[in-house]
Amino acid sequence: MSTDASSGDFESALKPLWLRAQAGDDAAYRQCLGLLATRLRGYLKRRLYGLPDEVEDLVQETLLALHLQRGTYDPALPVSAWAVAIARHKLVDLWRRRGRRDSLHDAIDDVDEQLLAAEPQDGSARRDLEALLQGLPDAQRQAIVLTKLEGLSVAEAAARTGASESAIKVQVHRGLKRLAALVRQDG
Amino acid sequence: MKTDTLIAMLARGAGPAPRALAARRLSPAAVGGLLASAAFALAWNGSIPAQMFATAVPWTKMAYAGALALAAGWLTACLSRPAAPIGRPRRVAALVVLAMAAVGGASLALAPAGARWDMLLGHSWSTCPWSVLTLSLPALAASLWAVRGLAPTRPRAAGFAAGLLAGSVGAFGYSLSCPEASPAFVAVWYTLGIGLTGALGAALGPRVLRW
Repeated sequence: MSTDASSGDFESALKPLWLRAQAGDDAAYRQCLGLLATRLRGYLKRRLYGLPDEVEDLVQETLLALHLQRGTYDPALPVSAWAVAIARHKLVDLWRRRGRRDSLHDAIDDVDEQLLAAEPQDGSARRDLEALLQGLPDAQRQAIVLTKLEGLSVAEAAARTGASESAIKVQVHRGLKRLAALVRQDG
Repeated sequence: MKTDTLIAMLARGAGPAPRALAARRLSPAAVGGLLASAAFALAWNGSIPAQMFATAVPWTKMAYAGALALAAGWLTACLSRPAAPIGRPRRVAALVVLAMAAVGGASLALAPAGARWDMLLGHSWSTCPWSVLTLSLPALAASLWAVRGLAPTRPRAAGFAAGLLAGSVGAFGYSLSCPEASPAFVAVWYTLGIGLTGALGAALGPRVLRW
């Protein structure tokens, strides 16, 4: 029962932080993604025991999807259930692309909290961010580099490039979507 | 790439999460699909006679199609969000279909026995479901596109729900040009047309709802 208790603790620690992140608190968001990454790593590692090289790739692919789809989170749901449903979707997608349809037996949204045991050590994926960024159109790459890597505000990035603030935001979002698609392709 | 690097990048300047994302993507798809189906229905078949709008007939069809579109839209929104429960919207959609079936059944029961077949088949039973399906195609394309930009983790079910939404929207448009007057006709043939659109959505879902 101790694992049940710790999973419940995980959700009750995560949820208030996550709600702050959803409201726009970047520091809380970063902390949430870090907490989720450790749990998702444990979840995926257990499911990908034959493919250890894929684990960190899929953790990162899932984190990108969580970010792009954070607008689909419903506050009535546990954050961990939502995150695992997305991780599971990415796992099914990976297996489908590799032609292994029979590897999953349990229902798709059936989330076992015990599967969310932590796997804290940080990993590194085989893919390289620089190389991925080269695959983006110039405007998207520039918007991401300025706001997400150099840490400029949207207003500063807009002033630097001469684009409007909303254009910068759109380019960042599109660029991250494109990045997610590239990550999925090379997986 | 280190996962910590990715996390720092995603969180930096992330700002608040978009609100009511499913509603914001699905509503324009449904409204655009409705305008398209109404325009095609009127251009293709012409409007029903104006005096018919003084009867309950077209309003019954629109109330049925509208209520089912709302329920199917709710269901689609739930299936576009990971881990969201779907029990309530599914029950509401089933209730709407059953309510229409009850109205149609009651109208048959109250009619003289000799008139029942005509009420059930009208004069367009063989074309009605296909017209509804055809008029639903713009809404189907738009709603599948909307769902694709969300996060459907059950693509076949999400495709079916999007098809139900599109079918209801198409039926709403079709009701502007369909002269059939019997609730029993609506309960059977409109529902079949909506169901066909749902089946098409379910068939397309696993192929087009990848993300």
